[in-house]
Amino acid sequence: MRLVQTHIRPVLNRSATAKKTKIGTSQRVLILLAKTTYRAKSFMEAGRKLGLEISVGSNHQQSLSELVPGSSLLLDPDDIITSVKRIVEFHSRYELSGVVAAEDDFAILAAAAAETIGLVQHSLKGVSVVRNKGSMRERLAGKEGHAIWFQSCDLSEDISSILEKTRFPCVVKPVSLSGSRGVTRCNNSEEFMIAWTRLKKILASEGLGKGSDEFLGEVVIEEYLEGREVAVEGIMDEGRLMLIGILDKPDPMEGPFFEETILITPSRLSALLQNKLMERTEQIAISLGLENGPIHAEFRVKTEEVNLLEIAPRSIGGYCSRIFRFQPESTLEELILRHSLGRQVDHYRSQGGSEGVFMLPVPKEGKLHNVFGIEEARSVKGIKDVEITLPTGAQVLPLPDGNQYLGFLFAKGKNPEFVESALREAFSILSVEIQ
Amino acid sequence: MNEKVSAPISFSQLASDTILNFIEMQGEAAAVRINVASASPLDPRYEVTLIDPEEKAAGDVIFHVEGFDVVVNSESLKVLDGTRIDWVETLTESGFKFENPNLAPIGSKPLEGDLAEKVQQVIDQYVTPGVAQHGGNVTLVEVRDEVVYVQMGGGCQGCGLASVTLNQGIEKILKEKIPEIKAIEDVTNHAAGSNPYTTGAK
Repeated sequence: MRLVQTHIRPVLNRSATAKKTKIGTSQRVLILLAKTTYRAKSFMEAGRKLGLEISVGSNHQQSLSELVPGSSLLLDPDDIITSVKRIVEFHSRYELSGVVAAEDDFAILAAAAAETIGLVQHSLKGVSVVRNKGSMRERLAGKEGHAIWFQSCDLSEDISSILEKTRFPCVVKPVSLSGSRGVTRCNNSEEFMIAWTRLKKILASEGLGKGSDEFLGEVVIEEYLEGREVAVEGIMDEGRLMLIGILDKPDPMEGPFFEETILITPSRLSALLQNKLMERTEQIAISLGLENGPIHAEFRVKTEEVNLLEIAPRSIGGYCSRIFRFQPESTLEELILRHSLGRQVDHYRSQGGSEGVFMLPVPKEGKLHNVFGIEEARSVKGIKDVEITLPTGAQVLPLPDGNQYLGFLFAKGKNPEFVESALREAFSILSVEIQ
Repeated sequence: MNEKVSAPISFSQLASDTILNFIEMQGEAAAVRINVASASPLDPRYEVTLIDPEEKAAGDVIFHVEGFDVVVNSESLKVLDGTRIDWVETLTESGFKFENPNLAPIGSKPLEGDLAEKVQQVIDQYVTPGVAQHGGNVTLVEVRDEVVYVQMGGGCQGCGLASVTLNQGIEKILKEKIPEIKAIEDVTNHAAGSNPYTTGAK
């Protein structure tokens, strides 16, 4: 049995390959950020720390861009051809050494631009497949370890014919929504019909029926998988998985909704299972064409069984990425930028100990009036930070209809048990007033 | 080697009584270690802990206040010189309050001097017209040690791309026009904006 290391390590034994690194000149990276991003600050700080020239590509015109040439670029992630042309033209004036998509919306554009210019990135084909939960399942169907039942359909289809083909228990997943929004477990046809109606309502609020997005009504219905949920965070480097961390989700996620709460690293799973997760992640990433860039995979683990739920060509979100810290002193965003430039990252090691985050759920619908006990929660031993990210007065909606967290608790300690206990204690202190 | 000096930090009567109470509650001899965990004027953080009187590291500075020894490492001492420590107890919180002249809160000093004036001019001439087109505004809060502290408002407050405007726009413009500027810091409470960028998924 191989021992699991708590730091980044190559899964496959391959001789070190020479990296294309330009020495002696300042390198420029194009970071693609959505208007509604929550990752800009961490990527800006990472770029500054690495001494890089940063250009930002976004679907929002930067207010001072005319005064600072080369600083930003207006791009439409839904118009890949035009946006790639813009990036190529930009590259001819401000040579790009890397391109990184900070979130899902820009993953396809990043891959297309990198492929055109010849930069390090996942393949366009691979990113296009996994951007759609249905096409990802179809691509993996029949491969070893992917024998789960699923079907792809559309909300416009007749529900009775879909029900005829559906097996229970199942999970209904809207293709176009992120996080766990709209994802519902159904144990029978009654629950299925309720979930279907709820999903139509959620997607109507996103523009379903208005012709804004042809994939908006797409749904994947798949077998409900028993077991604990875990996430694998990594960077694929020329087909090798460099593990950033395996995250345990200690709260049972059995439905009907799948709200995430606690994430803790390192994992408490056995060394055998952790190795299995790493091997499976690497195999899946390769088979889907995700060979160069960050990946975030979610699995269900039951006894010796490891089943993929989803894999995405991006890293974990901006707030949760804070639980990863490396030696030499670096953040996950720094590693992603370094990798996009073709620089080595496999010598980075975890700082040790255990870290965790508690994503604070919105308890009910209404107007947020106050959150009490923040200072007391902060004083719990092991708690590093408490951030309430929704403003007082905000209209809030819990999952599966909503898409917001109230805020985040961060903890650090000697081991995962201590971290989990600190997070739960701090959470128990907080009380939320919503009317 | 440890150095025993006259007190560079002062305590209010309530603060020193509280410390003596803590020592008494502990039931054994103790000294007080004071440490500066963060010397950022944006978020200064201090630690006060009871330690064994013998638990002192090389370079620690020790001074005696009425009834107890205070231990401070040399790095922290540079930042703490002249600090007055008080004990505050309200209905909702209690703790030591540090009045540190070296880490006065940003915005507590008046905007004055040539550098602040130059920064204000650049903001007025270049930054304000640009961000105003997007419904935003930028206010100069303070210039301290060649670091510019600004607050973003309107459409910039809570915008997901506020840090891009800050780093890619404001910082580059200010550094180009005023090369002696070392850094720009944003003191905005973005979560209080009308469209906080932290909403959404994890």
